[in-house]
Amino acid sequence: MESGLEACLGMSRKWDAREAGREVAKSSILNLNEPPKFFLLFSTIHYEADGGFQELLKGVWDVLPKGTPLIGGTVAGFLNNYGCYTRGVTALAVSCPGMDVAIGFGNNTKRNPKKAVKKSVSMIKNGLSNSRYKNKFLLNFVSGASVMKIPGQGYTRVVDSGFMSKFIMQAFGISQYLLQKGVGREDEIFEETANKLPDYHMILGTSIDDHKGINNYQFYNDHVLTNAVVNLGIATDMDLDVCTTHGMKQSDVHFKITKLSRNKHIIKEINHKPARQELSDILDWPKDFLNDKTMTHTIIYYPISLKRHGREVPVVMPFILKDSIMTPCVIDDGEVSILTVSGDKIIEALDKNLQSFQNFTPAFGLCSTCMTILDTLGNQINIVRDKTSSFFKDTPFLMIFCAGEGTYSPRKEITYANMSFNISAFGKQRQLF
Amino acid sequence: MQDPIANVLDDLLKLDDILACMVARRNMISVMPTDSTDSFKPEINQVWDIIKRAMDDVFMVIGEYSQTGLGEMDFRLQDYEVLFYVFPDTENALVAIVPALANKGLIAVEMENSRREICKIMDENEKEKMTVPA
Repeated sequence: MESGLEACLGMSRKWDAREAGREVAKSSILNLNEPPKFFLLFSTIHYEADGGFQELLKGVWDVLPKGTPLIGGTVAGFLNNYGCYTRGVTALAVSCPGMDVAIGFGNNTKRNPKKAVKKSVSMIKNGLSNSRYKNKFLLNFVSGASVMKIPGQGYTRVVDSGFMSKFIMQAFGISQYLLQKGVGREDEIFEETANKLPDYHMILGTSIDDHKGINNYQFYNDHVLTNAVVNLGIATDMDLDVCTTHGMKQSDVHFKITKLSRNKHIIKEINHKPARQELSDILDWPKDFLNDKTMTHTIIYYPISLKRHGREVPVVMPFILKDSIMTPCVIDDGEVSILTVSGDKIIEALDKNLQSFQNFTPAFGLCSTCMTILDTLGNQINIVRDKTSSFFKDTPFLMIFCAGEGTYSPRKEITYANMSFNISAFGKQRQLF
Repeated sequence: MQDPIANVLDDLLKLDDILACMVARRNMISVMPTDSTDSFKPEINQVWDIIKRAMDDVFMVIGEYSQTGLGEMDFRLQDYEVLFYVFPDTENALVAIVPALANKGLIAVEMENSRREICKIMDENEKEKMTVPA
């Protein structure tokens, strides 16, 4: 690349955390002639049991030049130039003369997201305050939802006990504040970050484990964090763009959310009736069809098009609390509709997204997508990899599977969605005549 | 010398939700993990016999349709699911037993990786056989 940019993608499938850390760092910087300007590290949850993430980072820093800005965290899986994986660790290292980089973090995202954003954004602003480059980018990577352990039921997505549901709903705020268990609040964090950095192009990813929603971790240099937001800020002379697409289609099934919880996270009533049963009736599902066993095979294929400040927010409903339905983000009440999604539509959404970059010669790419796409496509996710690979060709790309994702750019409005493809590409925009 | 296919199975078996795995065909388990059934998760012992019988019946279908593009099959028995990833144009499959409530999407990605690795090993073995003088 004439800009002197070098990007290299590494990975390791070793089980031992320390060895995997060394291997992923070594393979990421192997082909770089200059020390990397930044290092993104994403891992599946497996190293939690096989040495721990501190060991993984130690392994990385055994090899990575000291002082390299590093952020990342746990994801459900990833795909890259090498393949698709739901176990292992991957990294993207980039060196480029025409680029300034800053990283930032903020703690206690579930307790006080605004404070976390204030800190992490100020670190980015300070770090890039002297940059002369006009194109700005931010990777916003946020700790995702974590489930509370329900006495007698363990970790579950459907709580049938009325007493326990009432307790969870009443304790929701307390649990969120004291234990930092509950929704990730990544939508609030992303919105606040975009408000504070309006001239940036942004991509959002949310940290998660293997879809169980028990633990997730974020990486910031040599620190392993929980309930944190980590940011990578880039100012560069390269062209860059971001795009979100999703394959969800509006159905003719509409209903009205008539009662929300105070924190606007729990749908209590639909059409003035208890939400869970009314949703089942609207969808013509048999009574008690929606339970822990059927949850992942049913409800994720019926996302709802919710509304937030007039924007469409297509999301999957992740938890049932007796008669109520919890949503992953803050929503408004009113008229909404059921969406449908299929494997074909998901692939079409990817095509549409890549199409938006047709006048772009990429140097590297960073993408976030939804782990429910992994649930839907399974091993057919290789179609996504092959299509993404034919766009990026030999240039490194990395797509992480998250629990809530989105993009923002000064030209487009903010987008937060589930089951979406979010692509950021760096390179050269071809001039159209 | 260790069988490289057994190493792939060992790796797959390290995933929490893979309770047992093997390369098999009808009435025959071709390759087991290095420690054979000892490395299977203990909970599988109580249903192993019935699952094995059901597997043999599924392999009849695989034998019938593998040449016409049958790629994957699965069945649920009690609290378990058995996944079959057929090796193209053969009657052999990579078989894994997983809990019925496991996230099959995540498992499917690693099953596919293992199938591809095993196919590559099989191809290499085939090539070696062809180049060894009689």
